[in-house]
Amino acid sequence: MRRYILLSVAAVLALLVLAACATPTPQVIRETVVVTKEVEKVVTKEVEKVVKETVVVTKEVEKVVEKVVTPTPVDYGKVLILSTQAKPVEEAEKMRGIVLRDFPGQAEFIPEDEGVLIDRVLAEKQAGKGSVDVLIALHGTYPVLLKEDALSDVSALMERLSDRGIPEAFVELGKLGTDTQYYIPVMQATYIFAANKQALEYLPEGADINALTWDELLQWAKNIYEATGQRKLGFPAGEKGLMHRFLEGYIYPSFTGGMVTNFRSDDAVAMWEFFQELWQYVNPQSVTYEFMQEPLLAEEVWVAFDHTARLINAFKERPDDFVAFPAPAGPKGRGFMPVIVGAAIPTTAPNRAGAEALIEYLTAPETQIAILREIGFFPVTNVDFPGYVSVGIRLEGEAVTKQAAAPDALPALLPVGLGARGGEFNKIYRDTFTRIVLNGEDIRTVLDEEAALLQEILDDTGAPCWPPDPPSDGPCQVK
Amino acid sequence: MEQTRPPMSQRINRGLTYLVALAIALWILIPIYLIALAAFSPRQLVYSWPKPLLPTSISIETMRFFLTSYGVLASVRNSVVVAVITLFLSLLIGAPAGYALARYVFRGHHAFQLLILSTRAFPIVILSIPMAVTFINWGLYDTVLSVALVHTAMALPTTVLVTSSVFIGIPKELEEAAMTLGCNRLQAVLRVVLPLALPGLAAAAIFTFVLSWNEVFAAAILTLQNRTLPAKMVVQLNESPIPFRFAGGFFLLVPSLLFIFAIRKYLFNLWGVKLK
Repeated sequence: MRRYILLSVAAVLALLVLAACATPTPQVIRETVVVTKEVEKVVTKEVEKVVKETVVVTKEVEKVVEKVVTPTPVDYGKVLILSTQAKPVEEAEKMRGIVLRDFPGQAEFIPEDEGVLIDRVLAEKQAGKGSVDVLIALHGTYPVLLKEDALSDVSALMERLSDRGIPEAFVELGKLGTDTQYYIPVMQATYIFAANKQALEYLPEGADINALTWDELLQWAKNIYEATGQRKLGFPAGEKGLMHRFLEGYIYPSFTGGMVTNFRSDDAVAMWEFFQELWQYVNPQSVTYEFMQEPLLAEEVWVAFDHTARLINAFKERPDDFVAFPAPAGPKGRGFMPVIVGAAIPTTAPNRAGAEALIEYLTAPETQIAILREIGFFPVTNVDFPGYVSVGIRLEGEAVTKQAAAPDALPALLPVGLGARGGEFNKIYRDTFTRIVLNGEDIRTVLDEEAALLQEILDDTGAPCWPPDPPSDGPCQVK
Repeated sequence: MEQTRPPMSQRINRGLTYLVALAIALWILIPIYLIALAAFSPRQLVYSWPKPLLPTSISIETMRFFLTSYGVLASVRNSVVVAVITLFLSLLIGAPAGYALARYVFRGHHAFQLLILSTRAFPIVILSIPMAVTFINWGLYDTVLSVALVHTAMALPTTVLVTSSVFIGIPKELEEAAMTLGCNRLQAVLRVVLPLALPGLAAAAIFTFVLSWNEVFAAAILTLQNRTLPAKMVVQLNESPIPFRFAGGFFLLVPSLLFIFAIRKYLFNLWGVKLK
């Protein structure tokens, strides 16, 4: 009896193993052939690259030597930093090991989710006893904390840093709509497009990848689809993806000239019709994508839109296979969204002097470059675009600069003045997208319904219009 | 010598049972295998498609970076310390409560049992700010003890109910016999009941350990520099590239697997003790 059981189990196992092995084997062989071909290509390319990069390294060495010579001033003691940025393992490690290494004091860098960061700062405020010295967070995190009086005045520090060349518009944002400076802009990021080089041969004739229009993007995706039979354009429309920023800061401003005021205009209707057409060539997996670097690396998509920090791994791991390029332009310009990261000091900070010194350190040109090189956030201050950052970051950096400096550039700020209701604001854009593009509902009806919800949030918070919409007296109005 | 064969239907039944068992085992083992494979593959391979199903090239690069990254080993130590304190405290408080529920009939016995369970119904999210404020005022903020206290509070209902069912399973007569032979009640409990209840108590301890090991929220809000492993992981891995998620997942998986493997025979006693 036992023998029979053993035999049958063995037979089943053998079958499973066979089944598992049988099918993939021929594929594996085919794969190897492709890989060898690619290796050859890469090698020839890298020969040219290496020459450039050696020059680069020598430059960096010079820098380090300079720094060692300067004597370290006072020790600022322990400074505890809580940050909603640079959360991924590798980035946090680089913040600790490289970016903050030369700070005269012990900088403790702790990454934290936004909700927990807010809870913790509020709890310390209520207890009247704090442990956190510096906060590093997006603009949108701060209004909630200000409402509970948990942020301290950093106007004097801002005054000291006035020679850093932080753009006036960014400084103004740090006042959170008051006359007092509450945070200091320390770095910025934005959203751009990335493409696999295999896609370039399908670019429509005469199109310049650094000055695309939306129609050309559509034609491009269509060409790829017709040639390969695959939908190779991708958007981060998954649960934690940043699709709403694409809608708010890119396609809406490009087509309507605004983010809010023209929400249900005729231009907006035309925009949504365009997007419906474009979606035919978008990979349907897009509704699950959260970080586009992954489908790009897996080659599930060839052309994708996302935050620079969420594309950077594609450029870092295979810099020769990808290109970065600015967002396309529409009838009203080239909409794009700069993202401002600010540093603030909670009222309960135990080491105020250390906190100020740390923020000063973060805005120093060397630190700004280190931040760019290590975690891919771009400088807010006047620094020369350095020649010695890695290829991947240089690729992104060039696209960011081209995007911001384009003659038709139309910067769209992250929503301002919505406080805790920023999430609802984003949801309206995402819902509109889901209803029109994914569910195919009537555009006019959806826009009217969602516009009413949008107006409700604007009225409740009393938020005046922010760029690219023209300034308003009182709450911003959807036309 | 010819063995008598069992009837055909019985053999088919056995075969089916084994097939089902095999399927269930694979259901659990395949994901673990794939996680382990990805955790020990070079980064390029993790992104490639189709994914290789056999370990063609092994790399400990991702795993090593993960293990040496700031504070991972310290947070493992914190996790273990928290789990052990929680285990000790919850058994110390929970086991006597369970014994009382099992042995004494008092007014409101059932209501009390329900009341204990109802503490599990409080969403801890609502308590986060008051809890943090209290611990700051007590000077326990950012210590492993604060996390262990909260975990104890969370584990107690289960500990009380499981231990009470363990004690119910032990015949009262044994205790009474011990007392007729000269033990007082405490001695009877310590010398007769406790040894019999030990496997069941161990099972309750597993529950507590796993709960504490997996708990994220309280650990994240109450600590800053003394994070437990899951609290540290949940913040960082959420937005990390896929290879790190696999490495972290594998690393979180292994200790609980080892722990359950080590105490697996007690698992079967989870819902009471067999005395026959």
